[in-house]
Amino acid sequence: MTFSTTVLNIDPAREIFRITEFIHRMTHGSFKRRGAVVGLSGGIDSAVTAALCVRALGKDRVLGVLLPEKESNPISLEYGRKEAERLGIRTIKEDITAYLGSFGIYERRNAVIKEIFPEFNDACRFHVTLPQNLLEQDRLNYYSITMEDPAGKRQKKRISSSRWQQVSACQNVKQRVRMVLLYHYAEREKYLVAGTTNRSETAQGFFVKFGDGGVDIEPLAHLYKTQVYQLANSLGVIEEIIHRAPSPDTYSLPVTDKEFYFCLDYNLLDLLLYGYEHAVPVDQIVRELCLKKEEIERVFKDFRAKEQATWHLRSTPPTLEA
Amino acid sequence: MNIATVIRKFIIENFLFEDTGNLKEDTSFLESGVMDSTGVLELVSFIEETFGIVVEDEDLVPENLDSIARIARYIEKKQEN
Repeated sequence: MTFSTTVLNIDPAREIFRITEFIHRMTHGSFKRRGAVVGLSGGIDSAVTAALCVRALGKDRVLGVLLPEKESNPISLEYGRKEAERLGIRTIKEDITAYLGSFGIYERRNAVIKEIFPEFNDACRFHVTLPQNLLEQDRLNYYSITMEDPAGKRQKKRISSSRWQQVSACQNVKQRVRMVLLYHYAEREKYLVAGTTNRSETAQGFFVKFGDGGVDIEPLAHLYKTQVYQLANSLGVIEEIIHRAPSPDTYSLPVTDKEFYFCLDYNLLDLLLYGYEHAVPVDQIVRELCLKKEEIERVFKDFRAKEQATWHLRSTPPTLEA
Repeated sequence: MNIATVIRKFIIENFLFEDTGNLKEDTSFLESGVMDSTGVLELVSFIEETFGIVVEDEDLVPENLDSIARIARYIEKKQEN
């Protein structure tokens, strides 16, 4: 097994050709749909997916849907729109705050946060993070919640599992409402829904089942995040998106993918994930990445734990044989 | 019931349900897939409530919590203090 820091380098032109052929074949051949809907989040994955759909189907057959809510970073909408303008595709913007409000998710979630921080109110912001010392020491993943008051003062506390489950169940409605609307617009136009989940996210369970994971095709699911960036450069995605730190953008206080879930930068994460998935000998990874053996083993343990904890996200509903 | 028995009962009732065969005192919860990190936090809440101890963030390491035997040792040590 050959392993080096360049193992994830791809030939962007070849990969773009392969994916656009896939999108074209799926859309017109398998699904018999006229075009594709892409939810534009203002992030790298949706920008690349939209650009690939345009290459595959033409700009008149791609619809970009922008679905912000009151806790989205405003820059996400700006970047999503700018990328759509660059691509020349039609867009629909629909603020989903009212839908989320009608489910009571802000209210229910905030009630849980108030149990942790009694002073929490609508003017405060919050996010959730994991400990970031994954390489340095053996540790368990536990979520901490950080509240920022209007004056910018922050407090951080560990969140219990039952409270985390309640918060998470509310937060995930955001992606699920977006899925419902993407299908609404797709069915209206006889389009399919193109997903934006990459391999790093799929393998480690960093998506919401029947949320951002609820799509017709996944054109990026075979590519690690760093490979998606290689395509982005080749496809001419706007610099603002390329240089933006990846974020779930579902918390009122900004948080990166690294802080929220992966605990590593994608550059290192993807190489280690490749090594893990391809059973590259640890000694070889030690040499190539100049890491200690115990550091790699800690990361592999974390990969294994996340993989096991999220297997059900990747499974289709089991059925009995007739 | 001793500490290990209480912990075992909690794990079976909340994580394993019917599949209890391979749970030994030194089985790593994370390695064996018995529970994920959210599960560990559930276990921490149970330990705090049942044994009246406070589990500090710095104590959230596999050495203290990643098997029945390790948890029992950890709780005994905390109770001594």
